[in-house]
Amino acid sequence: MTTRLAAMLRDAQFWVPVAVLIAGLVVLWRIR
Amino acid sequence: MANPLAPAAGVDGARLRRLQLAGIASGFTAGAWLGAAEAPTKMVTLGLSPVVISLTMVLGVFLARWSLPALLRGTAAIGADVRQAPHLVVWAVLAGCLWAVANTLTIFAIRDIGLTIAFPLWNANSLLGILWGAVFFNELRGTGWPRRFAVLGGAVLMCAGGALLAVASSAGAPGGHGARGVVAALAAGALWGTMYIPYRKAYLTGMNPLAFVTFFTVGEVGMMTAVALVDRGGVAPLAAELAGARTVLFWLLLGGFVWVVGDLFQQYAAKYVGISRGIPLSNTNQLWGLAWGLLVFGELRGGSQATYAQVIGGSLLMALGAAAIALASATGAEHRRWQEAAAREAARYGIDPAYVHAALAGESASAPPRRRRWLDWMLVGGATAVFVGFGTIARVPDLALGWRWVVALAAAMLALLWSTGVRLWRTTRFN
Repeated sequence: MTTRLAAMLRDAQFWVPVAVLIAGLVVLWRIR
Repeated sequence: MANPLAPAAGVDGARLRRLQLAGIASGFTAGAWLGAAEAPTKMVTLGLSPVVISLTMVLGVFLARWSLPALLRGTAAIGADVRQAPHLVVWAVLAGCLWAVANTLTIFAIRDIGLTIAFPLWNANSLLGILWGAVFFNELRGTGWPRRFAVLGGAVLMCAGGALLAVASSAGAPGGHGARGVVAALAAGALWGTMYIPYRKAYLTGMNPLAFVTFFTVGEVGMMTAVALVDRGGVAPLAAELAGARTVLFWLLLGGFVWVVGDLFQQYAAKYVGISRGIPLSNTNQLWGLAWGLLVFGELRGGSQATYAQVIGGSLLMALGAAAIALASATGAEHRRWQEAAAREAARYGIDPAYVHAALAGESASAPPRRRRWLDWMLVGGATAVFVGFGTIARVPDLALGWRWVVALAAAMLALLWSTGVRLWRTTRFN
């Protein structure tokens, strides 16, 4: 599992949704 | 030179066609059920906060996402699936978080700029889905330009049709913070379009959609609860608002349940036709939502000729776009590129190639699911009890409904559920 977790953290495809989620939370925080 | 229409390696041509048909039927059925999910929420006429409405729907979603997979496949099979690729649980939770934030943003977007402008903006998520599908998962690769054009052109047509329908169905946009609303709607579209990256990742790797959604909903409920707590100012005010609205909670839970049925089909569409085709087909939900509004709730009654022209024109554009996408199913050559993406995933995460290959072919690498366990029946019984409990205290608002249309639309949805469910079962055994 640790190997897979490490592979996931190196996977560019993982960071795209993470970045979009953080950006979405920032937008939500700013507009509320 | 390889024949682009030749079957993909390991998946014969006839099987590939059956899988594509199952995926396309799933996309259209998803549209019908996702569009109908709004109908129960229209029964709620109390002045509840949008975030509380969204939270209650998500709680209904949570109940359905744990009980339906237990009923259809059993928790033992879901557990076996997760053991093959446990890292996908993180992806599922991440996708659930993306959904919850996007859904909340849409509420704020509607408040600021109205449905007219907001809906087409976030419905552009299908264009982002096409981009991610092509960039990350080899979708629309190895296929000819006519099919690429059909998918992209179909999505653009659907966005244009959606814009016309949104204009027609709006009852006047509220004024106020235009730029803020546009940003919220665009952000919601970006979140929803990106949410399909985890979907596709999971299904290329081999996870069963019924296993994926059980963890997806953990992210949904967790994120939505956090947003609601922050928005309401703590547990006590949130609990008080929920308690005060207990007589209408059933309708919101029901809306969540109907939404899950649609979303399950959306998951199968994403798995078997990819996100570039699956998302636009599911976006036909706007047509169904409009049908419920027009025929059952009597919206737009006495509207101008221009409004009806927009409804007819928008519906035709959406139908044309969906037809173009449905007719541009993946060829054997494109499916081979999907298999390359799947093999890359198997190598990156050290997953059994047989498991990945079987899932892409709509099969199971392991023995058929065992009989249901006591846990499955407890989940189904518990969820049913919650729905029955809230149903017994539910208040039916005094609304004039077109009951004949309720029966007709419900019959159409059930017919789609039955025919697509049987097709999926025969073709994939819900794999």
